[in-house]
Amino acid sequence: MTSLLNNVLNAMEQVVLEVVDSNAGTFRLIEGDSDWVSELFPNANHQKIFAIDDNIPFLQDFLIDARLIWHDKKNGRVRSGFWTEVVANNKELHLEAIAIKQEIYTLLIISNQTEEFIFRQNTMQSARELLLHNDRLVEQNEYLHTRLLDILSKPSGQNDILVALTKAIENAGFAVLIADNNLSTIIANTAAVNLFEQDKLLSNEQTTPMDVIVQLLKNQLPEYERIISTKSSWDGELCWISPPSTLKWLKVALYPVLDELNEVKNWIVFANDISNIKYLVQRNEQLALQDMLTELPNRIAFWQTLEKQIKSNTPFYLLYVDINDFRRHNEFYGHDEGDKLLVEISGRIKSTIKESDFIARVGGDEFAIILNNVDNQEWCEKVVERIIGCTRKGFETRKSGSFHISLSIGAASFPHDAQSVEELMKFVDLSAYNGKQAKANSLQFYSQSMKDASRQLIETENELRLAIKNNEFELFLQPIVDLERHSIVKAESLIRWNHPTKGQIHPEVFIPIAEKSGLIIIIGKWVIDTACKMAEKLNAMGHQVKISLNLSPSQVFDENLFPHLHACVKQYKIDPALLELEITEGVLVDDYAITEKLLNKVRAIGMSVAIDDFGTGYSSLAYLKKLPLDFLKIDQSFVKDIVNDDNDKAIVRAVIAMAHNLNLGVIAEGVETEEQLNFLSNNACNSVQGYLFSEPVDFKSFIALLEKQKR
Amino acid sequence: MIQKKICLLGASSVGKTSLVKQFVEGIFNEKYLTTIGVKIDKKIVSIENKQVQFLLWDIEGNDRYNVFQERYLRGAAAYIIVVDQTRISSFMEGIDIHTLARKASNCPAILAINKNDLQANWHWEDKELKDYKDLFELQFSTSAKTGENVEDMFTALARLLAES
Repeated sequence: MTSLLNNVLNAMEQVVLEVVDSNAGTFRLIEGDSDWVSELFPNANHQKIFAIDDNIPFLQDFLIDARLIWHDKKNGRVRSGFWTEVVANNKELHLEAIAIKQEIYTLLIISNQTEEFIFRQNTMQSARELLLHNDRLVEQNEYLHTRLLDILSKPSGQNDILVALTKAIENAGFAVLIADNNLSTIIANTAAVNLFEQDKLLSNEQTTPMDVIVQLLKNQLPEYERIISTKSSWDGELCWISPPSTLKWLKVALYPVLDELNEVKNWIVFANDISNIKYLVQRNEQLALQDMLTELPNRIAFWQTLEKQIKSNTPFYLLYVDINDFRRHNEFYGHDEGDKLLVEISGRIKSTIKESDFIARVGGDEFAIILNNVDNQEWCEKVVERIIGCTRKGFETRKSGSFHISLSIGAASFPHDAQSVEELMKFVDLSAYNGKQAKANSLQFYSQSMKDASRQLIETENELRLAIKNNEFELFLQPIVDLERHSIVKAESLIRWNHPTKGQIHPEVFIPIAEKSGLIIIIGKWVIDTACKMAEKLNAMGHQVKISLNLSPSQVFDENLFPHLHACVKQYKIDPALLELEITEGVLVDDYAITEKLLNKVRAIGMSVAIDDFGTGYSSLAYLKKLPLDFLKIDQSFVKDIVNDDNDKAIVRAVIAMAHNLNLGVIAEGVETEEQLNFLSNNACNSVQGYLFSEPVDFKSFIALLEKQKR
Repeated sequence: MIQKKICLLGASSVGKTSLVKQFVEGIFNEKYLTTIGVKIDKKIVSIENKQVQFLLWDIEGNDRYNVFQERYLRGAAAYIIVVDQTRISSFMEGIDIHTLARKASNCPAILAINKNDLQANWHWEDKELKDYKDLFELQFSTSAKTGENVEDMFTALARLLAES
């Protein structure tokens, strides 16, 4: 065969076979006579009919797909995909078959794809090694992070902490640094020293590994200030360039270690040199700019686009979308489900925005969106409504049913709010972070007032910290009167903050801030301690009065709550029956299983449990039946109009009847008039609490009330 | 001689190619080289005086770069889902692939928990073990490196296919 076509086919490493009998699988070689052709088809001499049989099982199998094309009336083609065939002398051929129907011709092309195969194999090799590397890194990081938190959470001053830390980090296989709250290194492993080693001859000033990392974070991460000031974790990639010879890609993770006052005690930093992998990935431009998991553009691609967008000077809105409680989902359902969620949510969000808009994955659970040509807030809100709408349908897990998520979205407009990439990112990040506090779907536009509010919040938080140190809290008690015995049997403990300049501050003002900042745990411990002391004193004076304590959601989920309660009861030698815990319905809805466990434990030692603000939350009879409870507290909003409002009358009657059916006692809150008291009394309410009897009073005044009652 | 098509399926880098290489050639290569497309190896297995030729379809691992293709299962007498005991994610992916494969074929499925020469970093709860065991006709803890249970797995598969 010397024809031009033959030469072309040989150059293209292809052979053309004509179908003789598709059902019998017989062919005739038309053109193409490279050496590999005779190695693959030893019987295929020019124009001689030969069969494709089970000597080449892959091709034999492909003929099933091919026949569908050949037997069709229309023109068409189908490809087999790559396969590897071993021929004589163990030589491997990397091939692809293409079945073609073109007018009256039915053809089978076999293409030797060795070059393409090797290219693809190299690319996939890099990509898969990266996947493996990431998987392992995530596992190692998680393990070490947990271990270090465990060591660092031990009371400070223990001499062996440093020894334990050294042991834990020395063989980590990647750089580990543990720093104090000012990011000054306390300890670093050998891998850290090696990773950040610089040419001593060339550089005059030697910087520490931590200096390098902090500098890189400051220069390359607009969120840096927010991360440090809000004590958040971060992980991502940083590029370290130190002329003349250093260019390293680092995968860095930064984790805070918080103390009881929610202040940063330490920072844990992990750093991995990923330059090799980065290099392999960068050989393939698509992989370099694409997020592997979601296949969306990655952070680098996003920055490039944002820069271009700003240069073009056309107005747009920038959105920063953050999945609320992603870490919790990840921990609860596993990382695979977390990954699955990210892939699905990215697909859903993408389907709600226009083709001309741009979406990228810019962090673990963070997406950034550029809404092109949107210059008014109203339009932006409409898009955000669609984005939030797409999360309403649950997300299916493999094993644990479905779950729902909510998003915090921050928005800033160009050029109105900011004119630079860094500022825009900083603003949307701050906006999303502010919205996140609500734990529900939220949209926050960047504004000066938001910035001020954020500063105000930080100030109050700092004042609260001082209040804890300076002992500025006081526990007030409000009597609860038993309607059958006509006497004070219980008191609800209510915290007050005696601020040195602002005077007495009520809990409605500062408890939400304490809850947000995590300070509620230590304040809650103070309340428990103080209440136990009071119970001890009252008991010693001969007053059998129970003290009830309000628990916030964070306290209920704090695994140290029960041990602390138990320890206090023992320390003050009080009868646990003198304590009652009050939780709101919202807590039950948040996590029924954890609440149930806690309530079972506290009741097992003799404390009682009440549901506070009953009727205002997600009243569900199901949990009332199942949970170990003793009392329901009817919220004061129902009691307020009980005399005049028939609906409230009906509700209160129904609640009392239902509670009694379930063997629960009923306490009505906010009783201020005799009429309200009469109604409650006539309807078998067990106890009442409110200004009719007494406002919350300090301990001394409470004792006076008890003494007065005695007389 | 009877031929049986056996497909090896699983996430990428769990050791499908290494299992085939160990079984067919009795060798193991430490270096990981990713498979592209399909490679078919043949090996004759003798069971009680009967000989069966296995056509072992070593199929490129499924991950975000390569989706599962059910057409490769056409005519399969059985398939082996290979997972890596050092990576729990490979197990979850294996179960996903099994679910997809079940839609395309009712042939026997075998679970090979490979790399048993390395330390496992996940353990099954008793109930899970039972649940997952029920999904597969046979289950083996294998090492393509040491060869542990590799021959046994294919022999047991041949026996299972001879019985059916």
